[in-house]
Amino acid sequence: MSDGSTPLVIRDLHKRFGNNEVLKGVSLTAHQGDVITMIGASGSGKSTFLRCMNLLEQPDSGDIVVHGESIAFAEKHGKRQPQDWKQVQRIRARLSMVFQNFNLWAHMTLIQNVIEAPIHVLGTPRKTAREQGMALLERVGLTSHADHYPAQLSGGQKQRGAIARALAMEPSVMLFDEPTSALDPELVGDVLKVMRELADEGRTMVVVTHEMDFARDVASQVVFLHAGQVEEAGPPAAVLAHPDSARLQQFLAPRF
Amino acid sequence: MSGWWQDISAWAVANPILSVETLDIYWQGLVHTVQLVFASLVIGLLMAVPLAVLRGSGRWWINAPVWAFTYVFRGTPLLIQLYLVYYGFAFIPGVQDTWLWFFLEDAIYPALFAFTLNTAAYTTEIFHGAIRSTARGEIEAARAYGMSPWTTYRRVVLPGAFRRALPAYGNEVIFMLHASSIASVVTIMDLTGAASLIYSRFYAPFTAFMLVALIYMALSFAIQGLFRSLEKRLLRHLASDR
Amino acid sequence: MNWLDFQGYGPRLLDGALLTVELAVLSLVLALALGLAAASARLSRSAIARGLAVTYTTLIRGVPDLVLMLLLFYGGQMGMNMVTDQIYDRFGIDAFVLINPFVAGVATLGVIYGAYMAETIRGAFLAVDVGQMEAARACGMSPWLVFRRVRFPLMMRHALPGLGNNWLVLLKSTALVSIIGLTDMVLVAEKATKDTHEPFLFMVPVALGYLAISSASELAMLWLRRRYDAGFRHAR
Repeated sequence: MSDGSTPLVIRDLHKRFGNNEVLKGVSLTAHQGDVITMIGASGSGKSTFLRCMNLLEQPDSGDIVVHGESIAFAEKHGKRQPQDWKQVQRIRARLSMVFQNFNLWAHMTLIQNVIEAPIHVLGTPRKTAREQGMALLERVGLTSHADHYPAQLSGGQKQRGAIARALAMEPSVMLFDEPTSALDPELVGDVLKVMRELADEGRTMVVVTHEMDFARDVASQVVFLHAGQVEEAGPPAAVLAHPDSARLQQFLAPRF
Repeated sequence: MSGWWQDISAWAVANPILSVETLDIYWQGLVHTVQLVFASLVIGLLMAVPLAVLRGSGRWWINAPVWAFTYVFRGTPLLIQLYLVYYGFAFIPGVQDTWLWFFLEDAIYPALFAFTLNTAAYTTEIFHGAIRSTARGEIEAARAYGMSPWTTYRRVVLPGAFRRALPAYGNEVIFMLHASSIASVVTIMDLTGAASLIYSRFYAPFTAFMLVALIYMALSFAIQGLFRSLEKRLLRHLASDR
Repeated sequence: MNWLDFQGYGPRLLDGALLTVELAVLSLVLALALGLAAASARLSRSAIARGLAVTYTTLIRGVPDLVLMLLLFYGGQMGMNMVTDQIYDRFGIDAFVLINPFVAGVATLGVIYGAYMAETIRGAFLAVDVGQMEAARACGMSPWLVFRRVRFPLMMRHALPGLGNNWLVLLKSTALVSIIGLTDMVLVAEKATKDTHEPFLFMVPVALGYLAISSASELAMLWLRRRYDAGFRHAR
């Protein structure tokens, strides 16, 4: 999927909800194979930042460039909106998102969830999509659950299924919005294992998470957000082991 | 703004339909509607409470007749029920010669009879559902404290059930208000009857029927408002804090 | 075998029953279409669409069915006469359009129950988990795809019980068309009763007829609910 261009470049994003400015000029660049973890306290804006990347939230200003293609914005009804929604849909198909609450389609089985977007967005023939889908489910260890409905699965199984669904679109960048926050502790490990394997493969990933071990061991870059701004960013060895900013030190300090 | 109001009042004064005489017909109609609806609701409610309790009985020979009653009255149109009672009473052989005819001649009594049975059936089902949805824990707690089944019903189950039934019963009251318009079909001079009379006199369907439509709407809103404030007061224990 | 013959009214009763079913089904289709349209309008971004939808559902649900039916039937005929008079004045074409009571019945019942179904459908739309649609958008699905593949199926699951109730009420309301002179089974039974002084002979079978159609509908709804319930019955 890579054509040499930088997968994701975000420049100077601003976003406010009413009077509350949640993002005060954040930027991020993801090169091919980067695993960027975003950490920060609740309300720091990290989820909002992630959701702006695939336009689930509309940024008030700033640039979003995916593989060299910049999203065009226009003023409509006094608000800034993407000019061409077809462009947005195209770009969304190159990014994949894994949600905190899984968001598997409740009325479809697991395999149906996985093949839905490839068939209807990419136009993949049903037979091919099914074969590829089953292969992906095997990868995440869910082959025996392919015909089960999400309601019949545990949280960890649902999230692994959601990852398979995200992979089915063959994305160039995968976005993870606190993928393990809604899971029981004993199920977290299974999901992180899958994510580690994806990172080892060389996938470009942007992960919002509280799992510090994952950030330390797997990430190529750690970004610490505070109050809508990037306080610190760098390789995990530097940022996590020797934090510069006082706030980051406080954030990382063990709490009882 | 005042010019617009002047135009409307000028039209209203000149319009023969809005004369004192016809407004009086509407007023009588309103009175009859309210009387009919109120009476059938009250009697139906009084019937429904014991029926709902019986409906929850485990013994099939108590449960089944009540179920049959509600099934038939909820599954058939009110118009049919009204016709059955109205013509049923009128055509009992020989009844027109007896003293009973004094009552039955006025269509209001068959209408009241049919409407009461109808609302009793719907209300029974509403209360039955509310009783059934009592949290098992509440009943267990009552038993654990030594309450008899009757006391449990009286102090725990029924008060909770009435409160839970409020939204659905509010809908039923509005439904009865609307259904009462059917009484006009058997010559009762309720609101709709008044409108039909005025229409046949002046051949102005829009004015005649729109006026009662507005009155029914006002009544419906009033009832909705009443039930909403009742719910706010009595269902406070169910409201969440979030 | 006298009573089976219904004193000669048998065939007419049957015709009336058929008409009742036709009327109910056609009104159902119209009501569903209007209900879906009004519910969508209610949820749209345009304030005008929202306002129109709210006005529609509030007005219709505040007025008795019979009053609306009489208003639309008598008023409709008068309105149609005014329109044809205008056409005569302007174009010299002498036309007389008689509003068919059947059409009036279908139109009235469709408009009335469209309002009730709009409220049911609106509630069902609101009950759909937002996350399901976010996931669909995040995959790059177009708004129409999101609606067709995710939002609508999930909404239907929530809407079915309420829509089923709306249908049963609509079915019973079809009896009112006998008042505007449509020869449904209620009107036949009423005329027969007045002629023969035998209310039970005619009204009871008609009541049974309604019960039969209701019961058949409940079976159909059970089947429909099973179809749309996929994935929800098996929750751990």
